[in-house]
Amino acid sequence: MSDGTTGPPPTGVLAVGAFTAGAFPLVARDDASAAFFDAAARGELLVRRCLDSGDVLGPEARTCPGCGSARLEPFVVSGRGVLVTWAVVHQVPVSVLRGAVPYVTAVVELAEGPWLLVRLVGTDGSDLRAGQPVSARFVQPHQPDEGSGADSGEAPGEVLPVFAPGEPAAVSGQGES
Amino acid sequence: MTVDRTVAIAGLGITELGKVYGRSARSLAAEAVRLAVADAGLRLGDVDGLLVSNGLAGKVGVELAGALGLGQLGLLADINAFGATAGVMVAQAAQAVAAGAATTVACVFADAPLAPKRSAGEAWGGAGRKPRTLTGLAGWQLASGGVNPNILYALAARRHMQRYGTTSEQLAAIAVAQRAWAAGNPLAAMREPLTVADHQASRPIAEPLRLLDCCLVSNGGVAVVVTSAERARALRHPPVHVHGYAQAHEPRRMHAGSPWGLVTPAARSGPAAMRMAGIGVGDVDICELYDCYTYTVLVTLEDYGFCEKGDGGAFVGDGRLAPDGKLACNTGGGQLSSYYMWGMTPLSEAVIQARGAGGARQAPRNDIVLVSGNGGILEHHSTLVLSPHPRTSSGGLG
Ligand SMILES: [Zn+2]
Repeated sequence: MSDGTTGPPPTGVLAVGAFTAGAFPLVARDDASAAFFDAAARGELLVRRCLDSGDVLGPEARTCPGCGSARLEPFVVSGRGVLVTWAVVHQVPVSVLRGAVPYVTAVVELAEGPWLLVRLVGTDGSDLRAGQPVSARFVQPHQPDEGSGADSGEAPGEVLPVFAPGEPAAVSGQGES
Repeated sequence: MTVDRTVAIAGLGITELGKVYGRSARSLAAEAVRLAVADAGLRLGDVDGLLVSNGLAGKVGVELAGALGLGQLGLLADINAFGATAGVMVAQAAQAVAAGAATTVACVFADAPLAPKRSAGEAWGGAGRKPRTLTGLAGWQLASGGVNPNILYALAARRHMQRYGTTSEQLAAIAVAQRAWAAGNPLAAMREPLTVADHQASRPIAEPLRLLDCCLVSNGGVAVVVTSAERARALRHPPVHVHGYAQAHEPRRMHAGSPWGLVTPAARSGPAAMRMAGIGVGDVDICELYDCYTYTVLVTLEDYGFCEKGDGGAFVGDGRLAPDGKLACNTGGGQLSSYYMWGMTPLSEAVIQARGAGGARQAPRNDIVLVSGNGGILEHHSTLVLSPHPRTSSGGLG
């Protein structure tokens, strides 16, 4: 479902048509997150790994809780994991998520160990169970048009890692509802 | 002969609570301290220690001492362990009194997050907040949507439900029981009877949590006065003796094997406080448990050892916590039905019950009152063991 986009979509990135406009707020990169978002645009989930103990940690980790080391390196994970828990959010928690409710947010445990707090797509939350396989997907947020034809010059947000029930998407264009 | 270093709560001050508009948190804090000191039969000049705790608005600090005209203090600090703060303050005050650093310590919490045109949700920094530019990994985390306590506690409750089969109706039993207790509390904001069906019909906030699983938001202030047990005996009210206290903290670990959501630091804090008091859960007559959400009560009961891990749903589901049940719990209605003064909600009701001043809602026995505080997302915990009786056994702190 990559219709309407120009050029080939990055591997594993869900096309915008699969989601309601405003379902994902736009996120801009900063220096610290540039590699994370570059990886997401390639369909890869970039986290960190401890150089001393080898423990795989979340993308925001600064210190390894296992050994205390601050020597961490970027590390691409498989994107496979299991569902730990989830919530179906109905009350808008912050205004940037006004267009997102109801949505499913979840804790997933990556096969490599770390837990991530993520958006879970491709489900309304009624068919889930703890322990089931989940895997990374990548979405390109877009916002509803503000009226006038000109695109207001706003840069599109970064591609965001999310998760969905099931095994990893084989190739691009696996849009789910 | 050892010095009696045991301490007691000698004064309790509670301001007007709820939709109290036009007053700052600092003004409410000052009034709460004055009320607590007067309640003890003391004068402000007797206070030589002050511990201050903030809520959502975060506008009260150590300058309160000057505003109250206090001088020559031996202890003054602004303390924050979130919802665990009240218990931490009492423990700190007890240690200061036992060590001789101060003789009379006022511990106060005040907050004024509600304004006339704001909803409770907005007071939480919720939907009314201005859109932010989302940037970096923090922006991705915000977009991921696990952004406030309602949602994070929902994740914890869901984990328990998935692991142990706990149900929303069992959480409802906690809300229903506390509302029944609130009916007897003149200070309670919500006193109309509640049924499980009402709970199930209340709107979902972050499933599995519904509106009636969530605490209120209140303006107001509450203070207690801690002094030596010996001195407290000469004051206006019967002393409420502090037999035990403990705290435990465990920042959420986001990794395989983490117990987060299923087991909380209460599992260390509760047994430690009861050990200090020389009691076990079978000795507890009244529980005043921190209840930011119904689930917090359930998991705290398990962690304290009132039932096995995972049995909390069945434990509370039969009306055990209601006024005619087997375990008097949150006898003032708690933060779900009465008032939201963080850890001062369970502590204030514990003092009232230990004094036997609960009126229509007085529990039948009050020899041992257990008080909990919980903060963060099930990450910070404090426990107090209170009693109207002095600690007579050989233990003690001497
Ligand atoms: Zn390490």
